[in-house]
Amino acid sequence: MIKINNLNFGYSKNRPLFSDMSMQLSFGHIYGLLGKNGAGKSSLLKNLAGLVYAQSGQLDVLGFDPAKRQPALLQQICFIPEEFYLPAVKVDAYVKANAAFYPNFDHNYFASLLAEFDIPVGQKLINMSYGQKKKVIISFGLATQAKLVIMDEPTNGLDIPSKAQFRKIMASVLTDERCIIISTHQVRDLDNLIDTVIMLDENKVALKASVDEITEKLCFKRVKEIDETVIYAEPSLAGYNAVVPNYHQEDSRLDIELLFNAVLAEKNKLKPIFN
Amino acid sequence: MNNTFNLQRFGLLLKRQWLEFGKIFLITLLVVLGVFIAFYGYNLLPLGNNLGYNVLNFREPLFMVFGFLFISIIASTYFAHLGQKSRAVIDLMIPASIFEKFLAGVCFTGILASASFIILFYLTDLAFVSYVKGHLHDVGAATDSATYFFAKNNPNQFKPLYLAPLFITSVFLLGSVYFNRFHYIKTAISVMVFSGIWTYIIVKATKALLSGKVPIHENANNGKETAELWVFIGLSVLTLIIWSITYVRLKEKEV
Repeated sequence: MIKINNLNFGYSKNRPLFSDMSMQLSFGHIYGLLGKNGAGKSSLLKNLAGLVYAQSGQLDVLGFDPAKRQPALLQQICFIPEEFYLPAVKVDAYVKANAAFYPNFDHNYFASLLAEFDIPVGQKLINMSYGQKKKVIISFGLATQAKLVIMDEPTNGLDIPSKAQFRKIMASVLTDERCIIISTHQVRDLDNLIDTVIMLDENKVALKASVDEITEKLCFKRVKEIDETVIYAEPSLAGYNAVVPNYHQEDSRLDIELLFNAVLAEKNKLKPIFN
Repeated sequence: MNNTFNLQRFGLLLKRQWLEFGKIFLITLLVVLGVFIAFYGYNLLPLGNNLGYNVLNFREPLFMVFGFLFISIIASTYFAHLGQKSRAVIDLMIPASIFEKFLAGVCFTGILASASFIILFYLTDLAFVSYVKGHLHDVGAATDSATYFFAKNNPNQFKPLYLAPLFITSVFLLGSVYFNRFHYIKTAISVMVFSGIWTYIIVKATKALLSGKVPIHENANNGKETAELWVFIGLSVLTLIIWSITYVRLKEKEV
């Protein structure tokens, strides 16, 4: 459903952000997009939404070229940006003006999401807090029933209960006809939510693997001493949190933060494991 | 689905744009009305023996200068928000085609803004002129002078200028999508520089080509009709070119 072939993109010709990047994303998955600051997470999302233009390469999103910004594709994309502006109107006026563009917009579902997020619907959007606005825009986006849901730092500004609600809602909206991509630095917010990890580093996709594949090939555990089998380790209170090859098919829980640091620090050791 | 133009979608887009643009637009119209009333009130009221032959002379400059400012400011703000990341994302992701978004811009700036200004000016003028006419006999003013002024303007004097609002709004609409900040100032400076260079070239070229020559096919109207035709063609072509560039810039707009 999303095919990226040899994508080259950068904000200036001398400093490419993506060099010959290729990957495919499919329906029925929640992808977690991770990377350092400036690695190009938001830029990749913008490329997929047609908000920026690649220098070369092919992008196919739901059978469309996103750069053409065709209404048929835009109807199927729910893009939740990190920074957004909402007009000085009440929620119902906003919905009245915007929902009609989306043929599958579900008003009942939107109302139920607002209720779940405890949004004061009688208040003007501009007077709401950042977190409340974010919840409105997330609710609106999900109610469009778009096939591609793109979220850039969606949990920024959400309070602790809202983060839990967000995880619950996102887990419930995934269907076989939907693809969800979430970019975030707050990896703990995505725990138990994402099923595939995509990490960007040095202009390329440093890792793209499902959570099952990662835990099948790697084991995340606490060790007292570091031996030669350890790929990457970080000191903790009782020894080290380590990433080791999963030679004995041990069950372990994916530690996204540890994996992220491991990918950045020990790229060469991890590459052969995932290739 | 037609991905270029759909009437229903275009209607939805106009409604949506009105939600954001409409409030500011209506407030601006109120300001315009206030300025009109202030000018007319200051010059005409209280009615007395001040109704001389030149008392209504402020009308043309008011209409032209203030009209230019109004339509250019409105056009300059229409796409200005696309320079802000937070607003551009939401607007560019609205499922309407680029052509529909562009056309909505032309409708709001070129047509709605110009038409509202003209109607508002006409109504204010009509109200004051009617008031003055109704009170002429009371104040014993020079009826001939007033009649002369009320009948003076002939809207058919230079027909191509009907295109001027579309041309002006097209320039400032382009500025609003081309620049990311300080749209009005940057557009105004660009227009000044461009028209300065253009005038210099035209003057030099005319001098070089026509110096020492005399016209041989001059008609009775002193060449007015030919000038009208050329100005009409020139303004039309320039407006279409600027609209085309605006469309392309909107298409290429990135966040």
